[in-house]
Amino acid sequence: MGRNPPCYFGSTMPTDNPFQDPLRFERQVPECVVVIFGANGDLTRRKLMPALYRLAYDRRLAAGFAVVGISRTPLSDDRFRAGMLDAVKRFSEDTTFDADVWRSFAEGLFYVAGDINDAGLYQRLAARLAEIESARQTGGSVMFYLSTQPSQYASAARGLGAAGLGKGEGWRRLVVEKPFGQDLASARELSDGLHEVFDESGVYRIDHYLGKETVQNILAFRFGNGIFEPLWNRRYVEHVQIAAAESIGVEGRGAYYQETGALADMIQNHLLQVMATIAMEPSASFHATSVRDERSKLLRSIRSMTSDEIRRDSVPGQYGPARIGGQDVPGFRAEPGVRPDSQTDTYAAATFFVENWRWAGVPFYVRTGKRLPKRVTEIAIRFNPAPLAIFGSGDGDRSPNLLIVRIQPEEGISLKFLSKRPGSGMDLRPVSMDFNYGSSFGERSPSAYETLLVDAMIGDPTLYTRQDMVEASWSVVEPIRNMWRETRFDFPNYDAGSWGPAAADEMLARRGHLWRRP
Amino acid sequence: MTSTVNSERVLRELAGLWASFGKPGNADEGAAHAGVLRACTMTLVVAADDSPEWPALGETIAALMPEHPARAIPIRLTGPGGRALSSRVFSQCWMPFGQRRQVCCEQVEIAASDAALADLPSLVSPLAVPDLPVVFWCRSSRLAGMPEFDALAAMARKTIVDSQGLPLGGVARLAARGTAVGDLAWTRTTRWRETLSQVFENRHNLARLGTLTDLSVAHSAPMANTSAYMAAWISNAIPNLKISIAPDARCDSLRVTLAGGGFRVELERHADRLVVTVDGLAHCANLPRLDDYSQMREELGILRRDPVFDAALARALRLAYASG
Repeated sequence: MGRNPPCYFGSTMPTDNPFQDPLRFERQVPECVVVIFGANGDLTRRKLMPALYRLAYDRRLAAGFAVVGISRTPLSDDRFRAGMLDAVKRFSEDTTFDADVWRSFAEGLFYVAGDINDAGLYQRLAARLAEIESARQTGGSVMFYLSTQPSQYASAARGLGAAGLGKGEGWRRLVVEKPFGQDLASARELSDGLHEVFDESGVYRIDHYLGKETVQNILAFRFGNGIFEPLWNRRYVEHVQIAAAESIGVEGRGAYYQETGALADMIQNHLLQVMATIAMEPSASFHATSVRDERSKLLRSIRSMTSDEIRRDSVPGQYGPARIGGQDVPGFRAEPGVRPDSQTDTYAAATFFVENWRWAGVPFYVRTGKRLPKRVTEIAIRFNPAPLAIFGSGDGDRSPNLLIVRIQPEEGISLKFLSKRPGSGMDLRPVSMDFNYGSSFGERSPSAYETLLVDAMIGDPTLYTRQDMVEASWSVVEPIRNMWRETRFDFPNYDAGSWGPAAADEMLARRGHLWRRP
Repeated sequence: MTSTVNSERVLRELAGLWASFGKPGNADEGAAHAGVLRACTMTLVVAADDSPEWPALGETIAALMPEHPARAIPIRLTGPGGRALSSRVFSQCWMPFGQRRQVCCEQVEIAASDAALADLPSLVSPLAVPDLPVVFWCRSSRLAGMPEFDALAAMARKTIVDSQGLPLGGVARLAARGTAVGDLAWTRTTRWRETLSQVFENRHNLARLGTLTDLSVAHSAPMANTSAYMAAWISNAIPNLKISIAPDARCDSLRVTLAGGGFRVELERHADRLVVTVDGLAHCANLPRLDDYSQMREELGILRRDPVFDAALARALRLAYASG
């Protein structure tokens, strides 16, 4: 794991905090200011502020820690604090509200009103930051968090640069939310815009999937144990399935979702990152660069599909109306803000191949969709069956060994294998050996945003997406997306509450495989 | 109370317990449909004197199980009298929120009179779960002075004691054997130390570290060893401080003050808050009172030697020696 960059104060001053105790202390956030663009938005209210308050509650934030909220609406500091208090009370899921801790935390909340495209905003922000740095001794370290429309990312970066805020006495970092471009060209254009002010090392592209404990646990599982890695290759693995199913629809985000679709919204970022984590080569160390290099290498090894392959190995879907649990559920085209002839994919499935010695020929089936029967995200690694069926009819269905990594809900790992049924015959049946994350470690897991915010503030980009990873992902997804856009599909092609279009089942059936029913 | 307990019989009873969970229709355990999940990451041996607090200890062990699932072996020390040794086996199950299956841990409760203490090591040793660490938590200061304590500590990867009210020399002797040792009097410093450390994550404060000359630790009466550990840990990080450790009846647990060169850092508890003041700028954080559960939760998360504790213990002994 990356550490704080060493500080230099001259030869007679200490450069490292001598009070650190990594065995017992949580990772500590150094003094800094977090500037949130889009401070009155949903993400700030639902995720960022509850996560920051929780960090304060857990004594993870430095005494002088401060937040500057930026939005167009004119607000005083006190009004902003009142709004954030409401957000923390409403959206903190498993945190006790403590009035004293809040008061102390709220003293570090400030607000600057303005338009992202107005140069004056950045001048006012610079003046405010100078005041805060002086009063709260934040050392000039600032993290800018862009929780705004992606189209405003580049202008925000340029505004910061023009006001001289891209550099300062301490560190300066920029956190951006997905989507990182709409395609490969726009992703590059976005990066170029950000790089005008911030080096790539200062740009933190957040993918909250990578902040989930169980996704991080994949690395521990693979590289902390000696027994799995020897099996982790084409010789033993028949295929891999990665599924991210949501039971809900677009929930009022129809207009946004219509322009994005499942392929770009989920597979291009979250699921390809998960796939990279499950399939990457062992990194030489747990240093951020090393881990991200391996993830990036894996993403670049995914074969880009030809037109024929796209037709054969990718399936878009869109849900139609259905009656679920006694309630009528509208189809996607009847959702608010969605065109009645929309061609947007609310379901996407694809078969990917990784062109390296470890995985050559092993299909990676990836699927995601809305309005599927349940909310579940998991990875299933199906191993080759035993080469010989020596138990005759007692072999049952010769169920293959399956290793299942459940990311949500009920996070854990299960291994399915065959066992003899008690009795006189040699009757085999599949049994499951389960590791349940919540059972073995009942302590509260930090939310993905808590983890990722701390990582960004201490300067550890391991769980953040790098430019080359974004570009590699787009290289994989863009040909599929382009072809889907040029095709008129007979949507809807699956009922809300079902497991997706029949064509997705056929995609696997062609190789003699079946989707798991999670 | 019977006078003998056979470890093989206890193990058979444990096996029988799990077999009963697997039988269909075991509605009593509420697990008829989904079965139960057995969770175990260690063997936790807990020795405590028989007292009215015994039931509370059971609750502490139960509370620890979801985070540190273990085969728990609580030993109730019944004191003088005839030789008496008995055991009973049971499970502790809970349904994790939002999940479908109960999670269960097993417990072997042993009651032993002083006359039967010599039999404890040979009974407990085969009951330890193979290939998983054994942790020995001794809550009995009486047992700590007996030879059976050494035998039980010898089978453990980590021994946990609470030196509150006792000389630190006993902890030092335990640590000198080379096994991992936890002292809850040290555990009580963690949140204070973490908060102080946070102050010096700030580069300006870190740069002024060398100007500090005086350390004062005031403490309530029960926190004497905790304050000694705190002072020792700070002086390991900042050598040559002038140190004052003193009881203060007005003090709610600890008050730590570092000063020098016009720089002042103070930490003090106010009810359930820790207030840290750096050069007049005060900051408040949550600091709940620590119970056995919170302290053991932390100690069970560390199953190897803790070099920071070892260094603080050594320093605390030197400070105590120097002050006579």
